Order: sequence, then structure tokens, then C-alpha cells
Amino acid sequence: MIEVTIQLLGFIAAALLIVIGIAGMVFLDNMIKKIIAFTLLSDGVNLLLVAIGYIEGGVVPILLPGMSITEFTMRAALVFPIGIVLTNIVIGVSTTAILVALVIMLYRRYGTLKASVILKGERR
Amino acid sequence: MMELVSNLWSIPLIVIIPLITAVIVNAIYDKEVIKYISIASALITLGISIISPYGYHWFTGHPAFDPNTFTFTFDPGIPAFRLSLEFVYGPIQQIMIVISSLILVFCVILATVGLTKRQGPYMATIFLLFASAAIIIMVNDLYHLWIAVEIGSLIVVGVVVASGTSISHKAALKYAFFSAISGAGLAVALALLLGITGFANVSDIIRIMNTVGISGMEKILYISFGFFILAWMYAGGLAPIHPLKSEVYGASYPHATAVLQAQSKLMLVAIGIIMLRIFGTLPFIKEVMIFLSVITMILGVVLALIQIDFRWIIAYLIISHSGLVTLGIALGTKDGIIGGVFQAVNDIIYMSVLLFCCEALYYFGGATSTKNSFGIARKSPWLCAAVLLGAFAAAGMPPFNGFQSEIILIQASLNSGLPEIAVIILMVSITTLIALLRAIYRIFLKPPEVEVLEAKIPKAINFGIWLFIILTIIIGVYPDIALRFIIPAVEGGFLP
Amino acid sequence: MTSIATMYDKLKKYLDNFIIGRGYTNIMTGYITGELQFLIFIIILASLFRIFSFPLAIIILVLTGAAAIYFAPTIINIEKENSNELNRVLYWFLIYFAIIIAITIWGG
Repeated sequence: MIEVTIQLLGFIAAALLIVIGIAGMVFLDNMIKKIIAFTLLSDGVNLLLVAIGYIEGGVVPILLPGMSITEFTMRAALVFPIGIVLTNIVIGVSTTAILVALVIMLYRRYGTLKASVILKGERR
Repeated sequence: MMELVSNLWSIPLIVIIPLITAVIVNAIYDKEVIKYISIASALITLGISIISPYGYHWFTGHPAFDPNTFTFTFDPGIPAFRLSLEFVYGPIQQIMIVISSLILVFCVILATVGLTKRQGPYMATIFLLFASAAIIIMVNDLYHLWIAVEIGSLIVVGVVVASGTSISHKAALKYAFFSAISGAGLAVALALLLGITGFANVSDIIRIMNTVGISGMEKILYISFGFFILAWMYAGGLAPIHPLKSEVYGASYPHATAVLQAQSKLMLVAIGIIMLRIFGTLPFIKEVMIFLSVITMILGVVLALIQIDFRWIIAYLIISHSGLVTLGIALGTKDGIIGGVFQAVNDIIYMSVLLFCCEALYYFGGATSTKNSFGIARKSPWLCAAVLLGAFAAAGMPPFNGFQSEIILIQASLNSGLPEIAVIILMVSITTLIALLRAIYRIFLKPPEVEVLEAKIPKAINFGIWLFIILTIIIGVYPDIALRFIIPAVEGGFLP
Repeated sequence: MTSIATMYDKLKKYLDNFIIGRGYTNIMTGYITGELQFLIFIIILASLFRIFSFPLAIIILVLTGAAAIYFAPTIINIEKENSNELNRVLYWFLIYFAIIIAITIWGG
């Protein structure tokens, strides 16, 4: 019997978000919906990273006054995933901005948000 | 040159100088002075990469931990847990960054000759592209690798959009779309490896896997490998992402494509070597990488045959030859890796020759379509000679550099017990020549069906073309000039 | 069984839809060369199965060669499947990813 911990729930939620995000990006035709699906995917990845850094009964990774080094190393949550998540958020914002800007440019030309129309294959 | 320092001064400069240049030229926006700042910055970066000693740069500044003696050390020569994010500058990094800087110099010169409006932001994207490529080849931790791949792909989008056509906007959107998926995938791969091993530094990951072991976690490693392959495919334009990458190459200005293809080759080499180091001992890893490489080679060269524009022919040939680079790395043997890295260096050089020749054709009114014949050889015989020499180099004919790297790859395939792969490499070479000669005949040699403008090709383009041709011949006749950087790194150390 | 003459006619009929006038011969030679090259590449790839089992390799080689010749010209389908349409690239991307994960996890 698998013990249901917060970390396991975090992993399951992250997996769901990632799968829903990828499914949205692949199967939805509307470009804005694809971009929203990308944000779901990005959030799922962030949740996965945070869940990896989680420690049961842990504390924030700040060495507080009165805390011994041994206790800190045993109980502090992993710090590195926090840095990766922050970076991922910034990269997600940049990617979303670029995608939206390009969709706007192409919408002005084609008058539709359908990926099947805008991004049809072309003979060169 | 073999001094090993743990906080090498040149590594941050190689990254920071292009970054600061990008900020400055973007702020200046459209004044004449952008040209001089950009050329000076590119030359300084080239100079630093040539004179720099070898060494490491450990971010966060703390020492490595030696588990054998339980001591801390700043000596990178001692096998210890780095516990830090790390850049490496060794022989492979040097040769690849020097070649990329040289291409950056000429790309900057050609861009400032050709473009008049919006120079600042365009130059900024070119410098950022170079910076991301330099980071990727120097990196020895997964965090910086992931950041550089993500940033690099967004900058590629910017470079493509700068061409301004609707084809380039669509190509950019599709590429950005896949960058979103592959970036998330690489983050998942990083997360899984961090979760299993507790480290992001590649050397530390390998040390933990070899000492403590990760038994029972192999399936997680395979999932991580799957996401890594995704990033590898996307970064280098391997199958099945090759239609998007070739569209990116074909839709950009040719001088920008030269920097783009250099960035792609650097990414392929860097990510491929990291994958081999982390996952190489697992079953079926090399087979999957070889399979992808061979499919890319075949599809790239067959699709190049049916293109009707010289730019697109070159775009698909860049894809096909990326498969050659990754094939060498995927073979996993010393010869294979030497051949793969050498092929990357040579490929960057001779494809730049062809791309600069394509840039020159723009001065004849954009005479790149093979639907018409233009007879440009009569107007510009030297350009015709240059493009023929570039085609021979790309086809792997002696005495050009392509021959030397392809012979190493063929020998590596034969030594690995895969003669079929050697036959495929030979066929790809021959087909490359066929594809290029078809276009060269139509554009240059056949009597003109359409009259073209009388063009004066700028001296900068001619100088760049012939400099790189001379480089292809020198490396072709004296391959040790390049191999003396690559062989010691592969055999002894200094692999990121 | 498709003969060389019929393959040429099929390619001609396909190309006549969008290429008229100049450069026709050049483009046609590109397609025919691509078709023949792809046929040889496929046969060589099929022979790689000798690593697993030699009789299997012979069978796959013969079947692949026969199929490629029978369904000629395959270059039209190759061009279609390798077009830059986003949905098509996504489709092949998922197929490749699934194959890679399946080979590595089951094979390992």
C-alpha cells in the first residue's frame, strides 16, 4: 500500500498538469488556448520541482538564530529547486510574451486564431 | 595553456561582453556607431577566446569537497564533488568558440553592410545568440544548460522574425511553440536527475551514479533521457523537428543563418556529450541516438534534392550534416566523438562559405531560385568559383576539411562494426554534391533565362568567403591544426 | 509492379499541378534522384537488422525493397509527411517520443 504523502500528491498534481498542458498544446486548434496550455505545462513543471524539494516535517532553508547546523541540514527543504522554479517562471513569462506577440502579428494578417489555418504547411 | 584554474577570468568575459554589447546596441537603436561597437566587441571576444588559458569557473565561489579525505579544495584537478554550477574552458570549447567568434565577426560586418533600419535590436539578438551558444558549449551543469537552451531558442525566434516576411513569422511561431515544449521537457529531465542524485553538476551526478549507485531508479533515468533527447532534437534540428529548423534556416538572412547553424552545432555537441556521459552506460541509449542521427541524415539530404531555392537546399543540408555530427557522438567511441566534434567544426566553416555566397546572391536581385537560370558565372566568376569550392568542401572531397572529418567518421563506423552506417555517410556526401551542383548549374553556369542586376558585391563578403575557403583548405591539408585541440580533450579530460 | 516509366509519369502528373514552365526538368531530376536515393537508403537501413538476426534481415530487406518499388513514387509521401505543418510535426514528434521511451524502458 503506497503511503499518501503531500509529496506524492504534489507529484500526481504535477503529472496531471503536465499531461493536460501537453494535450492542450497538441490537440487544441485555437492559438490562445495553446498558449494557455503552455502555461499549465510550465506550472506543472514548477510543481514537480517544488515537490522534489519538499521534505516531510521540514523547515524553510534559512539558518535561523539558535538553529544548529546539523538540525538545519537534516530538516531544511532543498533550496536549489526554488532557484530553478524562479528561473522557470521568468522563462515562462518570456516565452508566453513572444508567443502572444507572434500570434497577434499573424492574426492581423490571417484574421483567425486557428492553428490549422495560420500554420498550414507551405510549398516553397 | 594547460594551466588549470578554478576561477578562470576569461569565461565570464566570453559571456558578459556579448551580453553588454547587446544591451548597448539595443539602447542606441539605429545610429552608425552600432557598426563600430559591434565589430569591436566581436573582435575582442575572438581575441579573448584565442589567448585564454584553460580552466573552470565555479559559481558561488565555494570549494569542492573531496569525499576520500573529507577536505575542501579549490584545485579542479582533484576528483571531488564540485557542489556548484560550473563552466569549463578546455580545448574543445576553445576551438568551437574561436570558430563561432570568427563567424560572429563576419556576420556582424555583413549585417551592418546590408541592414539600415532597426540595426540595434537585430545586432542585440545576434550577440545574445552567440552568448547562448558559448554558454552551452562551456557548461558542466544542467541548470545552466537548460537556461542557455531556453534563452537560445527564444533568441533564434527573434533572429528569424527580424527577416520580416510572413514566412519568417510563421517559422518563428512554430519554433517558439516547440521551444516551449522542449524547454519544459528539459526542466523535467533536470528535476528527475536532481531528485535521484541530489546534484545538478554533471560531474557530481556521474560520480554519485558510479559510487553510490542508483539501482532501482533506471526507469526514471530513461524518462529523463527521453526528455533530454527531446531537447537534443529540438536544439539541433534532428528528425522530427527538422522541418521547423530548416524553415528557421531558410527564412532568416543568410549571414544570420551562419550564426544559427554554428549555435545549433555547438548545442548538438554539448548536449550529446552530456547525454553520453550521464546515460551512456545504459542499454539502448547509443542505439537510439544513432537511429535519430541516421534518420536525420537521410531525410535532410533527400529533402534537399527536391528543393527549388538555393537557401532551402543549404538549410536541409545543414540539417543532414547535423546528423553526421550527432552520429559521431552517438557511436560513443573515442574515434566517433573525435569525428563528431571535428565534423561540427568543419561543418560550421564550409556551411558558412555557402551561406555567405548565398548572401552575395542577394546583391544580384535575390537570384537564389533554381526555377530560373541566371548565368551569374559570367558576371561574377569568382563567386562561382567560391560556391563550387564550398560545395566540394561540403561533399567531403579532398583537399577540403569535410573529407578529413568524414573519413574519421567512416573509420569509426567500421570499427564499431557498422559498415552500413559508413555506406550511408558516403551516400550522404555524394547526394550533398548532387543537390548543390544542381542549384549551382542553374544559378551560375547555365546561360541566363532571366537577366539579373549588375551587382557590386561588398568587399566584406568576398573577404569572408575567401577567408573561410582558405580555412577549409588549410584544415583539409593539415587536420592536426584542429585535431590537436579535440583529441587530447576526448582522450584525457576536459570534456564538459 | 510499378515500372520506371510509370513512376516518371506519376511524378510528372504530381509536379504538373504546381510547376509550369522554367526549371521543370531540373525539378523533375531532383524528385527522381530523391526517389532513387531514398530507395537505396531504405534498403541499407533494412540490412542493419542483421545485427539482430541474419534471416530476419534478408526477409525485411526483400520486403522493404519490394514495397518501396511497388509504392513508388514514395518521394511525394516523404515530402508530404516532412512538411512544416505544425500538426504534422507534432504528430511525428509524439510518435518518435513514444518509440524512444518504449525502446529504452522495455529494452532496458
